[in-house]
Amino acid sequence: MYAYEKRDPEAHDRPLLTSSRRSLRGLDGFNFFIANVQTGFGPFIAVYLTAQAWTQIDIGFVLTVSGIVALLGQVPGGVLIDAAAHKRTLGALAAAAIAASALMLAAWPIFPLVLGAEMLHGLASCLMTPAIAAISLGLVGPHQIGERLGRNARYASAGNGIAAVLMGACGRLLSNRAVFILTAVLALPALIALFRIKSHEINPDRARGGPVIEGKEQRPLHGIADNPPLLIFGAGMILFSLANTPMLPLVGAIVTMRSSQWATVLIAACIVVPQILVAILSPWIGRKAESWGRRPLLILGFAVLPIRGILFGVLASPYLLVPVQIFDGISAAVLGVMLPLVVADVTRGTGRFNAALGTVGAAAATGAALSTALAGYVDDRFGNTAAFLGLAGVAAVGFGLLLLFMPETRPMER
Amino acid sequence: MRPVRRAASLAMVVVAGGLVLGSATAHGQTSVGTGAKIPSGTSAAVLTKDKAQAILGKPVTSATGENMGRIVDVIVDKVGMPRAAIIDFGGFLGVGSRKVAVDWNALHFAPAGNAEKITLDLTRDQVKSAPEYQKGKPVIVLGATGGTQTMPDGEYPLDQ
Repeated sequence: MYAYEKRDPEAHDRPLLTSSRRSLRGLDGFNFFIANVQTGFGPFIAVYLTAQAWTQIDIGFVLTVSGIVALLGQVPGGVLIDAAAHKRTLGALAAAAIAASALMLAAWPIFPLVLGAEMLHGLASCLMTPAIAAISLGLVGPHQIGERLGRNARYASAGNGIAAVLMGACGRLLSNRAVFILTAVLALPALIALFRIKSHEINPDRARGGPVIEGKEQRPLHGIADNPPLLIFGAGMILFSLANTPMLPLVGAIVTMRSSQWATVLIAACIVVPQILVAILSPWIGRKAESWGRRPLLILGFAVLPIRGILFGVLASPYLLVPVQIFDGISAAVLGVMLPLVVADVTRGTGRFNAALGTVGAAAATGAALSTALAGYVDDRFGNTAAFLGLAGVAAVGFGLLLLFMPETRPMER
Repeated sequence: MRPVRRAASLAMVVVAGGLVLGSATAHGQTSVGTGAKIPSGTSAAVLTKDKAQAILGKPVTSATGENMGRIVDVIVDKVGMPRAAIIDFGGFLGVGSRKVAVDWNALHFAPAGNAEKITLDLTRDQVKSAPEYQKGKPVIVLGATGGTQTMPDGEYPLDQ
């Protein structure tokens, strides 16, 4: 233990190597309940507003504006989290803001309030993602962050799945409005879990990818624009989300067209299968990332996407599309852990972990936003086999990029 | 069925334009219970809940009670007569739902006296493969089973 601490550059400024069980359990709970809360803002908004006699034009406008806010806010959100001394406080503020926007939606679904609530939610989410990443890194440090991110992904995925069932039942049995009240209420256990994390155990310097190596942090984009592994990984993530995002909506449309009686069940299975896999696989991926290194897992995550695209393109039976979603689960589990992990690796010593995470997140989200329209166009003009094969092609380029250029990024001092 | 449908189409106008101004003589209703002031020189009709309903966002079922989605828009012709309703059909949690245009005459508002209900003379099997409604393109209207359709220029019935 002593020899290890001596070789660990962070050991001298932090005598306690592992955080308390209470803090780590608190972070588990926070991930779970925040995923609950975020589920309420997914598909239920469009259903709710449609039932409130909103026109499709207004719904589309509100969702587009909030999407743009959520995109543009990611980098500033990361910069703010890097700069903040109290990451836990910002996490709490973000959770409270998300609860407030859910209440605004439930209370009075009129245009200015809904638009305001959606923008507030978008901004709060831009703080929430880096806050969770920063608290995780601040609690466990760079050598155990892989395992920690695996646990985060497990609890987030379980939270999403359980909340979707709960809210679906709530919408059906009570009302669509009740879904948003439930969403706001679920922010309470999230806050309780958050405050079980001992704030003094979150090392603020470690949480931003510090301690900063002497004489570095000068140029504003240091650690991001001059960081080749980060740029390669970011480009890979853009290609991945370009190819990945439209696949599920396209599959959903195909299932709706080819099956009537079982369509709903099949689509539900297409959503649930990958989520269960993410909940099961993520901790294992986090552990293997420490023992095998990042590269083999990254290559696996990127390799299954083109296969998935090709299978979707050639399989005709709607029933066969569901097992193909196992590949979605594998790549989602790998990248859910690897995205923050690789960014943490390559920003060590820069103090810009969360800014970099926001940059990669925004880049991937831009790819996702563009690809849905693009794939829809290809699908319309050339049919869905062409669309899927095109997406598989994009995914293959991403795979090649990672395979040829992405270095191993696991920290060496172990 | 006719009068009900007519009342419903009037309710549509109310929904679409936000106007409550209409020809009072056509309906002969006078009991105003709202206490709202109506400017002199305008006539007003009062449509009670059992006579008319707003339909945007309302769920639609098939004759056998299958969930057929919700009405999200209404297509009218040049004189403002409803020709088709756009239903947001199928899917789960927002994935896989499609907008499909169905013949206005295939919809029944308040069937069997149930004022809250809207039914459609089509089954999920018939609607599932219908082409998606897209803005700026000719509207392909799905007609009722066996229903004879006379479609003016630029429109065509979709054969199963």
